[in-house]
Amino acid sequence: MSGKDVLVIDDEAVVRAAVRRVLEASGLEVATADDAASGLDHQALASCRLVLCDLILPDRSGMEVLREIRQRRPELPVVLITGYATPDHAARARDAGAADFLAKPFDARELLDTVRRALGARSIAKEGVT
Amino acid sequence: VRTRIGLQMVAAFGLVTAIGIGLLAMVTLRTQRRDMIVQLTHSADLLSETVKRSTEDYMLENRRESLRRQIEAIGREQRIGRVRVFNKEGRIAFSSETAEVGHVLDKQAESCFACHVQDRPLEKPPVQERARIFTAPDGRRMLGIVNPIQNQPSCTSAACHAHGPDTTLLGVLDVTVPLDEVDRQIVASRNRIVGLAVVALAVTGALLAWLSRRLVSRPVEALAAGTRRVAAGDLTTTISVRGAHELGELARAFNAMTARLSEAQHQLAQADKLASVGRLAAGVAHEINNPLTGVLTYASFLQERAAHDPELSADLEVIVRETKRCREIVRGLLDFARQTPPRRQPTDLNEVARRGAAVLMNQLQLDRVALALDLSDDLPRVEADANQMQQVLVNLLLNAADALGAQGGTIRLTSRRSELPPRGHERIRQATCRKGCNLLDRGTRIGGLPAVRVLRQRDGREFLFHLDPVYGRSNHVSAEACEEGVVVPAACPRCRVELVEPERTCERCGAPTFAVRGPDDETIRWCSRTGCHFTWWEARERRGPTPVVELRVEDDGGGMSRETLASLFEPFFTTKGGRGTGLGLAVTWGIVEGHGGTIEVESEEGKGSRFTVRLPLGATDQARVAA
Repeated sequence: MSGKDVLVIDDEAVVRAAVRRVLEASGLEVATADDAASGLDHQALASCRLVLCDLILPDRSGMEVLREIRQRRPELPVVLITGYATPDHAARARDAGAADFLAKPFDARELLDTVRRALGARSIAKEGVT
Repeated sequence: VRTRIGLQMVAAFGLVTAIGIGLLAMVTLRTQRRDMIVQLTHSADLLSETVKRSTEDYMLENRRESLRRQIEAIGREQRIGRVRVFNKEGRIAFSSETAEVGHVLDKQAESCFACHVQDRPLEKPPVQERARIFTAPDGRRMLGIVNPIQNQPSCTSAACHAHGPDTTLLGVLDVTVPLDEVDRQIVASRNRIVGLAVVALAVTGALLAWLSRRLVSRPVEALAAGTRRVAAGDLTTTISVRGAHELGELARAFNAMTARLSEAQHQLAQADKLASVGRLAAGVAHEINNPLTGVLTYASFLQERAAHDPELSADLEVIVRETKRCREIVRGLLDFARQTPPRRQPTDLNEVARRGAAVLMNQLQLDRVALALDLSDDLPRVEADANQMQQVLVNLLLNAADALGAQGGTIRLTSRRSELPPRGHERIRQATCRKGCNLLDRGTRIGGLPAVRVLRQRDGREFLFHLDPVYGRSNHVSAEACEEGVVVPAACPRCRVELVEPERTCERCGAPTFAVRGPDDETIRWCSRTGCHFTWWEARERRGPTPVVELRVEDDGGGMSRETLASLFEPFFTTKGGRGTGLGLAVTWGIVEGHGGTIEVESEEGKGSRFTVRLPLGATDQARVAA
């Protein structure tokens, strides 16, 4: 067990660093990847409890990454990070099975709230309530 | 080389006229010629009868020498060709040309032919059959007439007893007259008719050329020139071809087309400009989002960690607040960039309202705002883009929440079916003078819409006057102050055609009204008296109110001032200082416009504001018909 809690896939170094800083300060172990391929190859993907994935990545879209993860680990919650959240984006993300989405730019509080909600939802799903 | 239509028409008409006149001349000449011959025949017959009578006595008395001299004397007369008498056997007994006396004529000879054509002697055929036209050996054309000399009782009883009582025909008197005079008259007559025909043709041709130039060539040239100007990109072109004929119709249709083209081009250019600004904004916004995420996340994180240090915390608060402001600007730009044509589907606006309310519920609760929904049960579906309408609603609700401010309050969201009277609501989207000049002025807007521009005259001075483009509303703008209650004429600022129609008077004050042509050539009229707000759009009134679906957002906040109301929907206008981008309501307005709907704002300072969005139900029917 690598012990990573969250895998962050984003091509922007500053975003990866900021997310890592905030989440690690809350006691979560964070792994990062800078594109879809390295994210899907990351060993943390096998054991982590949550994936944060940017919608626009250099090699593939975040939606494709989401679908791939849904196939490999259907119970793993994925939060999509979008540059711009429209009702359309939200609906499509939910249809594709995203746990939630986070609109850039976000602050530390929004990030933590979203991550906690996603992890909580997963634990509820685990208990079979819905 | 292009052949001019006028020339072609003149040539065609000219040819037809020439053929007509030619035929007429030919028939006239023939008739005249025949009449002259008939007349001449009768006078020759009369002459021959006179000769017969005047020589009768000589014959009875058998005074051959006197008869011969008489005939020779008559033959010398200029207008008589030849006089001769031959007997039944065809022997010439007497002749004014003595040389031929004694010759025997064959029954086939021209003078005998009339009677002997059927090889049997006739007694006295009618005058036309006894006449003949022939060419004399000297080349002159002659008319000959034969006159049978019948047997009479006085002949058989005469002393000479030359003829028995059983013979009926004693001989034939043959008189010929020259046709020179007749031929000369016919030639003269022909020349006269040909001359007249040429003159008539020339006059007709000139008249046709003039008429075709005036009625066809000039209008066609004006149309062609107008078309070329439009093709060259000048959409302010109007063609002034008057008249109720097809060319006038065509010119008016052309002007209407150009006006619409101009409007479409304007909208397209506007959309294009917005689209490129939007693309640029979207590109920049996306690029800024990532560094902004870094700044905001670190700053807010730091702020939480520095909670124990009030000084540091306050500084970080500023960074977080200003970064969030940047975020709102970026989101506004992206909203603005996302203005796309609506993808319309039959949409339940109640559903849109509920979703919009759900999206904002948390935030509204935080802001201590209560949202009351009052949605109609029998709301018909409208053709609308649900996402865009949700954006409209979210914008209006956020706007209302902002208006309520920190102390909070109540927002009412109402949906209902309604009817919109044309008066005060119907937009005048097209206006031309009666010669077809476009009167909509995009440069001058009243309530955000292009105004209707006319030229008015007062004390010899001319000034522009902009009419409110919403029918029945009277927020007109005059370039010059004018006291109320005076009748001021109105004209087209372009072609200066008079717009006042004195026979149609104002129903309120009796002053003359002036009129412009609206869409589909419908007449919209206004009273020409200043201060009298009478206006009448007959055709639109007859169509009655428009069925609409209304969404209404009301707040009990502070309301808005008149100045704020006036520029409420302009891009980058905001009263929220640092918190607003000034794009929310501009986007809202754009979306509602894109749906063919209207948005109305009522506000009273201290009492609150009410935004009413109305989408036409008719658009659904029209869209279905078109599909």
